Amino acid sequence: MGYTARDLATRARRRVTPQQETQPMVLTPDFESRPVISFQRVFKTYPTGTEALRDINLEVPEGDFLFLVGPSGAGKSTVVRLLIREEKPTKGKIFVDGIELGRMKRRKLPYYRRKVGLVFQDFKLLPNLTVYENVAFALRVLGEPDQHVRDRVAEALDTVSLSAKENTYPANLSGGEQQRVAIARALVHAPRFIIADEPTGNLDPATAWEIMQLFLRINARGATVVMATHNREIVDLLRRRVVAIDAGQIARDDRSGRYHDDVAKPQVRAQ
Amino acid sequence: MLRNLKFALNSAWQSFWRNLAVSLAAVLSITLILILAGINLLVGHALSQVLDGFRAKVSEISINVSDDTPLQSVYDFEQVLTADPRVASVRFITKDEALAQFKADPQNVVFAQQIEGNPLDAKLEVHVKNLSDVAGIDTVARRWSGVDPTDPTNYQGDFVNRMLELSSWLSLAGVALLLILMLVSVVIVMNTIRTAVYHRRKEIEVMKLVGATEWFVRGPFVIEGIMTGLIAASIALALLVVAYPPAVDRFKSDIGFIPLSYDPRFITILAQDLLLAGALLGALGSYIGVRRYVRI
Repeated sequence: MGYTARDLATRARRRVTPQQETQPMVLTPDFESRPVISFQRVFKTYPTGTEALRDINLEVPEGDFLFLVGPSGAGKSTVVRLLIREEKPTKGKIFVDGIELGRMKRRKLPYYRRKVGLVFQDFKLLPNLTVYENVAFALRVLGEPDQHVRDRVAEALDTVSLSAKENTYPANLSGGEQQRVAIARALVHAPRFIIADEPTGNLDPATAWEIMQLFLRINARGATVVMATHNREIVDLLRRRVVAIDAGQIARDDRSGRYHDDVAKPQVRAQ
Repeated sequence: MLRNLKFALNSAWQSFWRNLAVSLAAVLSITLILILAGINLLVGHALSQVLDGFRAKVSEISINVSDDTPLQSVYDFEQVLTADPRVASVRFITKDEALAQFKADPQNVVFAQQIEGNPLDAKLEVHVKNLSDVAGIDTVARRWSGVDPTDPTNYQGDFVNRMLELSSWLSLAGVALLLILMLVSVVIVMNTIRTAVYHRRKEIEVMKLVGATEWFVRGPFVIEGIMTGLIAASIALALLVVAYPPAVDRFKSDIGFIPLSYDPRFITILAQDLLLAGALLGALGSYIGVRRYVRI
């Protein structure tokens, strides 16, 4: 299912900005509507005894673009793992699109994952498959018909501007190109949610910016994006919603935030 | 569904060739195991063939009639036996018939020329329905007044019982051996498939992340296991089919007293058993091998 103009109109109001020519369209999520992702008093303690998350409450409306920030080990990755149901919460409830993840049956999990597009720091491309095959893989796994696969893959590769390299193997691509392939793969089944864990972590600033443009464009088409990141420049530049996690708790949740809380850490702004 | 099957077959085939050394090692080990299993089945079959012949023979008991028994008494006893529910048939053989039978046997040619008169008893040949009833009929016969007291019947109770016991022990041992062989082949397939899983762990991870179902991930491995089992079964079967007739010939000349024979019909049964066993063992081994790793 693609996103039609009407979908966009009903999902979010457009905010027209002066930079609209150069910057992707920006959506304003409707914070009053029922959230599509919601964490309710979520605790996560790993079997080793590590207390990764403590009492997390978080609501994400449809069409939101949310940065998860915080030092390493703060619990960002745990939030991501809980969201893709690699882990279950020890206590509390997580709802995504009306489904409570902790109580979802194991055999339903694949169908949930199909609603989600995942992007990782290490790309997770299959080295023995070409660019085209890597993207097509996500559809083949779902048993989609060949013609459909061809059309959708072509569309996804066009979105990430990699149509010319569809027969190249990942090893012959730059880091940015590899991440674009991974994004195409995450997009190809038109997921409603994009969850990204440090997608720019291995990329130089210019390439990271390109990748961010892609995420913004995907968000503008209606997908809800949750991104764990360490990339301060990008977070500060985009001024989107920022949820800061520190020592397993939400330290800050700003609708138009920065990487660091200016008041608490003035030295960061001084440089 | 069909597309998924195509995908599974393709990746199973690729994986088999990608880990050729491991795959071949598994095929060879399972071939050996299936050959052993096949030999077990063949020996078991030959044994049951022999036992069937043996059973037919020992389910017959002949009661020797002493020379001074009046014919009427013999007929009366024949009636009693025929009425017995354990008895299938009774046949009276006169002294003359017994002698004729004795002389007709080529083994007795020399001996037959030397005997004078007719030293043989008349006898009642009784066919019982169940082998285990032979002993009962023997008791009845021994109590009969007309029986030859020096050599009442040809029943050798101990021998029969021991043969029966031996045959049941042998079939039990055969089953136990088969079970052990199957267990070993399941473990071999399991380890082969784990190697395949290890080689494809990245692919499995990506499959899970993009929403493949567990059976979609598992399918190629299970098919690879079935493939391994079937290839091994085919090789084992071919070798056994080639070796079966000469082996029978060889044993026949070595141990002539056992009525061993080549049974071409059994080849079909053997083929079914081995191929089915190969496929099932392969499927089971790979299912167990991959189970833990495809858990989402």
